[in-house]
Order: sequence, then C-alpha cells, then structure tokens
Amino acid sequence: MTTTDTHTAVDGAAPAQRVTEEDLARQARRKELTSRWFWRILSYVAVLTVWEFALLDIFSFLRGSPLDPKLLPGPSEVVATFFEIWGEGTMPAAFQATLTRIAVGFGLSFLIGAMIGILMQSKWFEGFFKDAVLISLSAPGLIWVLITAIIFGNRPLGPTIAIILTTFALVTVNVSEGIRALPKELLDMAKSFRVSVLKRNRQIVIPHLAPYLFTGLRFGFSIAWKVTVLTEVFSSSEGIGFEMRISAVLFDMSEFLTWILAFFFFALFLEKVVLEAIERRYFRWRQAVTAT
Amino acid sequence: MAEIRIKNLHKEFGVGEDKVVALEDVNLDITGHSFVSIVGPSGCGKSTLLNILTGIETPTSGTVEITSDGHVAAPGYVFQAARLLPWRTVTDNLLFVQDDRSDATRERCRRYLEMVQLGDKGDKFPGELSGGMQQRVGIARAFSIEPDVLFMDEPFSHLDAITARALRRELHHMWDETKKMVVFVTHDVGEAVELSNRILVFAKGGRLEDDIQIDLPFPRDPADDEVAVAKAHVLRKFEELDLLAS
Repeated sequence: MTTTDTHTAVDGAAPAQRVTEEDLARQARRKELTSRWFWRILSYVAVLTVWEFALLDIFSFLRGSPLDPKLLPGPSEVVATFFEIWGEGTMPAAFQATLTRIAVGFGLSFLIGAMIGILMQSKWFEGFFKDAVLISLSAPGLIWVLITAIIFGNRPLGPTIAIILTTFALVTVNVSEGIRALPKELLDMAKSFRVSVLKRNRQIVIPHLAPYLFTGLRFGFSIAWKVTVLTEVFSSSEGIGFEMRISAVLFDMSEFLTWILAFFFFALFLEKVVLEAIERRYFRWRQAVTAT
Repeated sequence: MAEIRIKNLHKEFGVGEDKVVALEDVNLDITGHSFVSIVGPSGCGKSTLLNILTGIETPTSGTVEITSDGHVAAPGYVFQAARLLPWRTVTDNLLFVQDDRSDATRERCRRYLEMVQLGDKGDKFPGELSGGMQQRVGIARAFSIEPDVLFMDEPFSHLDAITARALRRELHHMWDETKKMVVFVTHDVGEAVELSNRILVFAKGGRLEDDIQIDLPFPRDPADDEVAVAKAHVLRKFEELDLLAS
C-alpha cells in the first residue's frame, strides 16, 4: 500500500473508483476463464467444421479412392438421425436396458468391493486378495467381456460378472485406503466423551469414508459404463451396445454415430450434473474449507 | 463436589531392559472447585497421568478414583488440537457429544458457544474458523456437557501468544462461573501460575516433586510482582530438578 492509500483509509473517504488488487485479480481470473472457454468451444467448432466439410475428401485422398459418403455422414446428418431415432422411441428403451445392467452389476460390485476392502484390513485377507485386486485393476476390461460372452452367451449374468470383475477392485482400493486413514484422534475424542459406538460410526466413520466411497463410485461407474456397452456389443439383444452393433452390421454409419453421440451426452450429463450435484450436496464442508 | 483420589499410583512401560518408569508412587487428592496445573519437563509423566485419569491408560499398580458426591464423576476434555468433526457445523460438533438433542440441550450448547464468543458461528464448519476459534469450540464442547471435572492437555500450546492469552482469560471466567474442577497439563509455567490455585510439579521419572498452593487473587497479571515471584519460585524448582537430573 502506498501512503495515499493509507490516508484514504484513515480519512474514511470512499475509495472512489480506485482499482484494488483484488479487483485486478478478479479481472485476470475472468479473462483467463473466458479465454479457456473460448479455446474449448473453438476445438468443437474446428472438429465439427472439418468433419462436415473436409473429412470425406481427406479420407478419400488418404485411401487413394473415393469414399462412399454414406460411410461417413457429417455432423448435421448425425444430428438429424439423432432426432429421428429419438422420435421412434427406441432410445429410452436402449438406455433403460443398459442402465439396468449397470445398476445391478455395479451395485453388486460396489458391495463386494467394499466388503473385500474391509476384510483386507486383516493381513491374512490382504495376502489373499492382494494380487486379485491388482489383476482386476490392470487387466483390460475387454478380457472379461470376451470370457463372459463366451461362457454366458446373452444371459444377463454375463455382463454382471464382467462388470464385477472389472470394477470391484477400484472400490476395494478406495475403501481400504479410507479405513487405513480413519481419524484416530477424533475417535479417541468421541470415546472419551462416552459417545456410543453407533453414533461414532454414523458421525465419524461414515462421513470420513464417504469421499473415498465416492471416488470409488465415480471411477468404478465410468468403467462399468464402458464395459457394459462392450458386453452388449458382443452378446446382447438390447441396450446401447446392441444398437451400435446392429447399425455397424448394417453399415448405417449415421445411426452408429448417433448412438455414440447419445452415449457421449449421457455420460457428460451424469458426470457434470448428477455426480457434481451429489458432491456439492454432501461435501459442502470441504468447499467451505477450500473457500477460506 | 468433585473429588480425585490417587493412591500409590505406579506406571511402567515396557519390560526388562526397556522398562521405563513413567509414574512413581504418586499420592494425591484434589477436591472441589480447584484449578490444578500439572507441570514438569517433557518425559516427567504428566501426559501419562492425564491418560490414566481419563481412562485411556491403566495404572501398573495403585488406584485412581474420580467421584462427584459419591457417584462416578462425568469428565470433559479439551485436547491439544481442537479435534472437531470437519464435516459437522460448530453447533453439531457440540451436539455430537450430548446425550440428546432436546431444546434444553440445544439452548445449553448455544449458551456455552456464546460464553466463548462464538454465538454467531454456530452454522460454520470448523474449516472456516481460525485455530483459536476452533480451540474455543473445543472448550465450549467440553463445558457444554456440564462435566464434574475438566481435563485439559496443553490446550493453548498450538496458538499464538495473543490468542492464547485471550483464551486463558475466558477459561478462567468459565472456571469461576461454573465452579468446575479443572486439571490442566502444561509445560508453560507462566500459564500455570496465571490460572491455577494449585501447581503440581513433576520430575523426570514421574515423581511428584512439589505441590504448590497459589493463593493470589484473580485475575492475575503476569507483570504483577506477586505473580512474577510465584512464577520465579516454580521456575527455580524446575532448575533444581534439572540440576538433580544432570
């Protein structure tokens, strides 16, 4: 602060139109945010423009022979097909089929993963499960999708098992990390104040574990989602993956891309709207901490 | 009226060559509306004594009785760190240690929050408060269960000098107003002299070396002659113990 600043403060005069450091910082932040959004939107515009007007020619040139425009419809056509399919009403049904599979598969996976995470607190069980967890974390989901497709065909158990095998470990790792980091000093405090075990669990253990469970949920869900669609591509008679397979078999690229578009929108909706809303609702205290 | 009776208390850790005596034959009575500070160099067993009093550790031999009018006394605690639940608001942190959530209980919590000058911060999360405010919430929490005895383990040692001083003054008022017994562990002799009417000096090896009554009127100003003399006296005791140890 300069001397003039101090005088203004002492005299109690209004800091007339003076630009404070805070204002400058806020301006800089806004500018940075605007330019970030600009570039982000620009990337969409650029990709869509190239796709609409030039991609067919580029691919034809690269192939050395002209490409059938039907095999590479532009974004405008995909959007038109999107509304067409939407009007037919197959989309909600396909989503419902896929989401039901995810809900059942990932629900079970979450329970199993959490249970193993709890068991792994004992060193014997840790030894027992350790490598299985590692394998599940590192093996590509496609392996389980193929194996379960071969064994179970289009029975609903196939995708369920594939989802469990690919996602349980993410939940396990997070749960066991959360348990290991239990706030002992808070539990001791509660014990010395004679707070009941039930209340200690409800108000200390569960809120402490919640962010860990949430991380497991978030990552596990994103994988369950991909694996489910994959299982449907290989072995199912309904769902988004199945619809994709049908359009691919029929060489209906416009419809194929439409399903991808729908998939993309839905994933974005889940991530940006649903999960972030949960985060805002239940982890308000964390935002309060970072805000100060 | 609360009463603490410690008889032939002995505490050892480890076995054989590693054996460490933490407390050696401690005999002690504390009664009524006292503010007792336990001071001594690190490793003198003052934390061990507090842990035994609060039931976190059990004595090797000897007995400890904490009663209030013939019943087992209800204790309250203030820790070195505030130990608040970060995911609960200030008010909910106080309610957490209560037996019920009745209107009377809520009113009592509100009253103690006001007593530590945080009446308007009930809806804040601990992370939004400064270290000093968090420690105030910890103190309000301990008082809010209206315990017979309050145990405090260096509650101000993490705070800056000015905040600590303000909190000491508040603590004194609360002690005076509620007529509770306070057992206060500290390594700060000045703090002990400012607050206590009785100071227990422990030496390395866990012996109770001195039991000093301080009958000066409150509030005590550290700059005051008598307070300074009392502080010097305790410090001298410390130095003697140090000489003995080396």
